Amino acid sequence: MDCLQTIDLVHRYGSQTVLDGVNLRVPVGSIYGFLGPNGAGKTTTMRVILGLLARQHGDIVIFGQSMRTHRVAILRRVGTLIESPSIYEHLTATENLALLQKIYQCPVHRIAEVLALVGLSGTGSKRAGRFSLGMKQRLSIAIAMLHDPQLLVLDEPTNGLDPNGIAEIRELLRHLNDEHGTTILVSSHLLAEIDRLVTHVGIIDHGKMRFQGTMAELKNLQHTARAVALRTGDDHRATQILVERGLHPTYDGKHIALPPIADHEIAALNRHLVERNIDVHEISVQRNDLEAIFMDLIGART
Amino acid sequence: MIADFVHSFQSEWIKQKRSLASWMVIAGGFFTPAIVIVIRLLYHDELPRIYAADGFWQSLWNASWESAAIFFLPMGAILATSLITQIEFKNNTWKQVHALPLHLAVIYVAKLAIILLMLALFFVLFNLGIYLSAIVPYLLVPGVSFPSAPFPYANFLKEDGLFYVDCLPIVALQYMISLRYRNFLVPVGIGFMLWVGTLGSLPWKWAFVLPYSYTILNYLKNEPHGKAAIPLANIHGLAIGYFLLFAIVGFWMFATRKEKG
Repeated sequence: MDCLQTIDLVHRYGSQTVLDGVNLRVPVGSIYGFLGPNGAGKTTTMRVILGLLARQHGDIVIFGQSMRTHRVAILRRVGTLIESPSIYEHLTATENLALLQKIYQCPVHRIAEVLALVGLSGTGSKRAGRFSLGMKQRLSIAIAMLHDPQLLVLDEPTNGLDPNGIAEIRELLRHLNDEHGTTILVSSHLLAEIDRLVTHVGIIDHGKMRFQGTMAELKNLQHTARAVALRTGDDHRATQILVERGLHPTYDGKHIALPPIADHEIAALNRHLVERNIDVHEISVQRNDLEAIFMDLIGART
Repeated sequence: MIADFVHSFQSEWIKQKRSLASWMVIAGGFFTPAIVIVIRLLYHDELPRIYAADGFWQSLWNASWESAAIFFLPMGAILATSLITQIEFKNNTWKQVHALPLHLAVIYVAKLAIILLMLALFFVLFNLGIYLSAIVPYLLVPGVSFPSAPFPYANFLKEDGLFYVDCLPIVALQYMISLRYRNFLVPVGIGFMLWVGTLGSLPWKWAFVLPYSYTILNYLKNEPHGKAAIPLANIHGLAIGYFLLFAIVGFWMFATRKEKG
């Protein structure tokens, strides 16, 4: 069952189509990584989901209810962090949380709890305007978690954090997901940043979904070799033999490059060259890592 | 919905803590009375005669409200409304506010209610200041007796109420403009232009149709020198009408914005 679903979302700024039929499906209890390069449409999608941008086409269903008809009831169960931190800089961290505690009517002790969770317990009377960017980001995450929401929508929550802070936030999100069953939709433009966190992935580029599925499904794409490189005692003759076998090799003066082929074909190719008295000095297989798959999906690699 | 409004109002009240708008209300409330005190202490020789006069309180009231009704109240309403609304723009928090489980009407009315409360607070502090401007010179200058004239509570309360009603159109129009523009200078600039334009139009017989004119016209109603044309209609009723009109149009503009935050 899906916690959040967008149905054919389309959004245009003038004649420019920013979202072109986006169908997100975020399963209940998942940590969904929403990936794409800058300007791909991640933030616009999240803003449309939360009603910060007027919906032009399509629908948004959260907890099985449409945002069009149940906006307030849905938002009671959702915590958000969109883009840069949203905090009142003339107030302290506690006051920032207290004003939201009034709205959500959650227990007052939650303020101290979430401050402790994000490591801001000791900020006392220091005004939020004097916080570092990392502290502001932590406070924003505390705000999103204050009312113990069932769904967290976080747009690049680790912006401004140092590597240690990123690791802490990753642990915190994993803990919320494991212990509280919180569904998390988290966006990033860096796969490496969230590949150890998420259970599901959606990849968007130029307003279109390029991939959506579990992390395991994304990793399955790794098992196909992306290219094979050969170095032999007689590269010219080897190239002729490969052409005779129906392959399409290219020679750059150092290596013979072949398009992706299966592992058993690589072994057969090696045997064939040896049987034809060609010394094979090197066979290297370039496999896809996740970053390469990501780059391929968004069309950033040729 | 009412419970949501109460909670939202409490939340808005916390936002005002230590804000520039709240400091301005406090400083604005005591500004004119402080000047009155300073002048009276400088010209203390006149005080025994002034304090013995039958119309002491009314005279003090008129002296205090002259600058307030014409200058400080309209300017204060323009600045305070713009500053309170600016808190969300300045802190980049509109997106957070619009992602809260609140109806748009609750968000709109709660913030407007806070502005009206701050305005009421200004009136309380201003009245307290007027009273202090009578008491402080009496306590500091030897030979000055406490005013013998009775304190006209009812009249002062009535005039306070009328001035409050008369500045409501300024608040509603400034609120509407301030919600629309991220740049603080736009609502303040428009407000000051409308106020200056109103000042220049006072002798015009239709000046009473200008929404920024009512505090000034209320103060000048007994002015014998014809500084302003006599209004052809009940200005307090017009003020309420404009307030409702601007508040409703403002909400429509707020609710139909395609990009929120």
